[in-house]
Amino acid sequence: MEDPRRRQREDPRLTVGEARPDPDPRPPVALYLHVPFCVSLCPYCDFVVVAGAAARGPAARIGAFLEALRAELGLRADALDARFGGPSSGSRPALASVYFGGGTPSLLPAGDVARLLSMVGARFGLARDAEVTLEANPGVDERGDAGALAGAGVNRLSLGAQSMDEALLRRLGRRHAPADVAAAVGEARAGGIGSVSVDLLYDVPGQSLEAWDATLRDALALGVDHVSAYALTLDDPDAEGLTGPLGDHLPTRAGARRWRAAAVREQDEDVAAAQYRLAVKRLGAAGYRGYEISNWAGPGHESRHNLAYWRRLPHEAVGPGAHAFDGAVRRWNAARLDGYLAALSGSPPVLPPGGSESLDAAGAAAEAAILGLRLDRGLALAEASGPDSPLAPHLDWALGAGLLEAFDGPDGGPRLRLTTDGRLLSNELFARLV
Amino acid sequence: MQIPQNRLRNFSIVAHIDHGKTTLSDRLLELTHTIEARQMTSQVLDSMDLEKEKGITIKARAVRLEYTADDGLVYGLNLIDTPGHVDFSYEVSRSLQACEGAILVVDAAQGIEAQTLANVHLALREGLTIIPVLNKIDLPSAQPDVVIEELESVLAIPREEVILASAKEGTGVPEILEAIVARVPPPRGSPDAPLRALVFDSHYDPYKGVVCHIRLEEGTLNDHDVIRLMASGAETELLELGVFRPQLVPVKTLQAGEVGYVATGLKNVREAQVGDTVTTVARPAAEPFPGYQAAKSLVFAGLYPVAGPDYPLLRDALEKLHLNDASFTFEPESSVALGFGFRCGFLGLLHMEIVQERLEREFDLDLIASAPSVEYRINLTGNREQMVVDNPARFPDVGEIDSIEEPWVNLGVVTPDRYIGSLMELTTNRRGTFLTMEYLDPQRVLMHFELPLAELIVDYYDQLKTRTQGYASMEYEEAGYRAANLVKLDVLVNNEPVDALSLIVHRDRAQTTGRALTTQLRKLIPRQMFEVPIQAAIGSHVVARETLAAMRKNVLAKCYGGDITRKRKLLEKQKEGKQRMKRVGSVEIPQEAFLAILRMDEG
Repeated sequence: MEDPRRRQREDPRLTVGEARPDPDPRPPVALYLHVPFCVSLCPYCDFVVVAGAAARGPAARIGAFLEALRAELGLRADALDARFGGPSSGSRPALASVYFGGGTPSLLPAGDVARLLSMVGARFGLARDAEVTLEANPGVDERGDAGALAGAGVNRLSLGAQSMDEALLRRLGRRHAPADVAAAVGEARAGGIGSVSVDLLYDVPGQSLEAWDATLRDALALGVDHVSAYALTLDDPDAEGLTGPLGDHLPTRAGARRWRAAAVREQDEDVAAAQYRLAVKRLGAAGYRGYEISNWAGPGHESRHNLAYWRRLPHEAVGPGAHAFDGAVRRWNAARLDGYLAALSGSPPVLPPGGSESLDAAGAAAEAAILGLRLDRGLALAEASGPDSPLAPHLDWALGAGLLEAFDGPDGGPRLRLTTDGRLLSNELFARLV
Repeated sequence: MQIPQNRLRNFSIVAHIDHGKTTLSDRLLELTHTIEARQMTSQVLDSMDLEKEKGITIKARAVRLEYTADDGLVYGLNLIDTPGHVDFSYEVSRSLQACEGAILVVDAAQGIEAQTLANVHLALREGLTIIPVLNKIDLPSAQPDVVIEELESVLAIPREEVILASAKEGTGVPEILEAIVARVPPPRGSPDAPLRALVFDSHYDPYKGVVCHIRLEEGTLNDHDVIRLMASGAETELLELGVFRPQLVPVKTLQAGEVGYVATGLKNVREAQVGDTVTTVARPAAEPFPGYQAAKSLVFAGLYPVAGPDYPLLRDALEKLHLNDASFTFEPESSVALGFGFRCGFLGLLHMEIVQERLEREFDLDLIASAPSVEYRINLTGNREQMVVDNPARFPDVGEIDSIEEPWVNLGVVTPDRYIGSLMELTTNRRGTFLTMEYLDPQRVLMHFELPLAELIVDYYDQLKTRTQGYASMEYEEAGYRAANLVKLDVLVNNEPVDALSLIVHRDRAQTTGRALTTQLRKLIPRQMFEVPIQAAIGSHVVARETLAAMRKNVLAKCYGGDITRKRKLLEKQKEGKQRMKRVGSVEIPQEAFLAILRMDEG
C-alpha cells in the first residue's frame, strides 16, 4: 500500500516555471482562510488573533465568524465568477491548495472545516489531489481531532511546536509541553493526515546552541515530513504603520510590547547565525531538503501552498488580515474582527474593509527576484543577468562577496542561488533590489 | 512727552540667572502703567521663546517708563535690560555703559553668585550708582541678614542702602522706583554738542533694516538726519527715530541723555554692532566711545543639517539669524562624515547652544554639531608664519608643527565650601590651576582658577552644576594664549580617517580619550559584511583599537502571503537607511552614530 506521506507528483502549476513578474490578473490557484482565534496570546506573535472569551465558551464569536467567513467566500467567489467565469467554465483552474491559518484553526470543529471545504469546492473548485493544510497548536485542548479533520478533507497539518524545550516554551508563552508535540504528531499519523510539519523557533532569548540542537534532535525523532525553522522575529507593527483602522495587523498590547523589548535585548546575532547553520547541517543530514530559507521538506513534502506565494502565483484569501494576490494587485482585509463581522453580517453582506496596492513592473520584478532567491532552486542565470533584471547590477558584488553561487539546474541550465552565508545575509542583497 | 534731562534716569538691572530680574522688570512696568497687569504675558522683556524657556535674557531690551514720583513730578526712567550670561559679558558692559545706575538684584535665599560679582564689577568700572535689592524675601529659605552681611563684606555695600523686596508679590517695588529717582544721577551730556550715541543693542527688521538701540550721550538727533557709525564707517539717512514703550513709538527728536532707537535701513547688522558710536554726518563728533570691540568668537563648531538636502535651508536660516545676531560667524565647510555644513564661531558654549536651538526651532531644522573647538595658534617648523586653526580637521601634519598655543581663561567660581574639594579635583583634572580663594560668608567661597578654554567648553559647566547640586556658579574672562602639549587625535574606521571625529587633546590624555571613542564607535557602528578595525591614532601612531565583528545575520525568517508587502517595505526601509548612511571608505556608518558620539561629547 502506498505510504500516505509519500505524495504524488507535485502539481505542475505550482512547480514549473520561474516566479512571474507578470502583471496580468489571473484566477487564483490557492486559497487562504484566516481563523483569528487562539486560546491565549503569545507575546511574540503579531498575527491577527483574538483570544479569551471570543475564542471559547458561551461568549465565543466563532459561530458569528464562520457565518461571516462563508459570506466573504461567497462574495469573493462571485467576483471571480464575474471576472474569469465560473469554476467549471474551463477558464478557471480548480484550487491546488487550501490553507487554514491563524490563529489556531484547530479550534474549529471538524464539521465546520468540512462545510467550509465543501463550499470552497462548490464555489472555487478544488482539485482532487489538492493540498489542504490546517495549522494546529499541539496542546491537548487546542489541537483538535486529527481523525475528524482528516475526514473533513485536511491532508496536511502544520503544528506550532516552536520548541522541544519545556522552559523555552514557557518563556514563549506557549500552553503546551514538549510531550504534547509528540502526542499531536502521533494522533495526526493515526488519524490519517498525510503530511505533518512542525514550526520551530531559534534566536529565542535564553536559547543556547545546545538547547537548539536538542530541539532539532527531538523534532527529527518524531519523523515529521516538514520542518519550518524561524528566527524569532520581533518587529513592531505599530511602528511600521500596520495597525491603523484599515491595517492588516492589530495594535501590540502593552504586555507584549514589554516582553519584546526585553527579548530583543537578549537576542544575539552570532548565536542566531550559529543556530541557523546548525539547522542547515542537522536537517540536511536527516534527508530534508532546505527548499526555502526557513523551510525543509522530506521528498515530496514541500508546502505547495507556500510555494505559490514564493512563485507569485495568484491566490485568494479570506478572513481578517488575510492577503490575496491576483498577479497584479495585492489586496488585504483589515485586521479588526468587529469591522469584519459588521460588514459581512449585514443584509446584504458587503466585503470587509481593507486595502490594496499594485506594483509597477520594477517593483514586481524585484519581488520576483527576492522570492525566487529564497528558494533553493534560485533563478535562471539568463533571467537574473538579463537587461531588465534588478539583480543584474549586483551580481558581481553578490558572487564576489560569497552571497550567491552558480549551479546547474535539473535541465542543465545554469542557475543562481544563495549560499548558506548568502541566506543569512540575504537582506543585504535584497535591500539592493527593492 | 518731552521730559527735561534732569528728570531722566537710565538704569539697568544686574542679577544672576533666576534671582528675579525679569519679574522685577515686569513689576516696574506694571507699577508705572507702561503695561497694564492684564496685558502682561508674564515676563514681557524676554520676548524670545527661548529666553522664556531657559529663564535667561539673551539680548538686551530697553523700555521707557514714565513715573510720577512722590514729589509729584513725572520722570522718564529708561530700563535697559542686560543679557544674563557669562558668554555675553561684552554686551552687558555696553548696556551698562548706557546707564548711570544699576539695580543689583540678589536672591535673599541664594546670596551672591559668581556672575553677580562679575556684573557688579563691570557696573562699578562704568561708574554706575548701585541700588542693592534683596529679592525673594518672601521665601521661607530667605536669610536676609546673611546676604546683607555678604553684600557689605564682599562688595562694601552699606546695609542701610539695601532695599528688601519681593518682586513676585510687589513688596518693595515702590521703594525701588523712588530710589531710582533719588539716587541715580540724571544724564549730563549737552544737547548742543556734536552727536555721540552708543549702540548698546540692535535688531533687524525686514522693513526698517538694522534698528540700533542707542543711548544719546551728547547732542541731538532728528528724524531726518544722516548718520554715521563711527567704527564701521557706515553712513545712512535714518528712516525712523523712536522710543521703547516697550513697542517702538516714533518721535521727531531725541536729546542727550535719552534712550531710543534709530532705524537705519542698513541691511547688515555687522555695520552697526554693539559698542559702535552714532554721530551725524553734518556735524560729526571728534571721538567715538572708547572700548569698542567687534564680536569675538571663542568657541567654534561645525553645524550640519541631519538631512543633506536641508543645506540650502540651513544657509538661509544662518543668514536670517545673523541679521539679528552679528555675534556669531559662519562659513561653509564640508566633512566626509557629515556632508555640507558651516563652520560657526560663537561667543561661548551657551551662545552656541542658543544659536543651534534657534535654528532648529525657528527654522525647523534638524542639526548636528561637531565637537566644539577653540582657536589654536600653531607655530610651524621652518620659521613659517603662525597658523590659526579652529577646526581639528584642518590641523597640519604632526611633522609640520613646531609648537601649539591655546587660549586660557581666568575662571571665578562661587560655591558652598563643602564642594571645594570636588571642584579642585574637577578643575585640576582638566589641566586647570588653582589660584586663590576667599570666603564670601562662613559657608560660601569664591575660587579663582586658570583653565584652558578648550577644557571649559567640553562639559565643565555641566560638571560644575552636577557636582554641586546646582549651587555653584561661574564666570570667566580670556587670559591669553599659552604653549600646550597638544596633539591631534584621529579616529580611523577601516583605516580611513573620519574627519568629523578628529579632536585636539592633551598628549597625556590621548590614549584614554582614544579608548573611549573607539569603544563607543564599536557600539554605534552597525556590523558590516566584513570585520572593521576602529582605531584612534596620533599621526601614524595608533593609541587605541577596537574591532567590529563582521555581520552574521540579516535575514527575513518568514515571507508568506501576508508578509510580502510588509517585508518589501522593511527592505525598502533598509535600503533608504543605507542610502542615508555616510560612507567612510567601504564602511557604511549611520548618521545617528555620529550624532550619538558627538552628543556624548557634549554631555
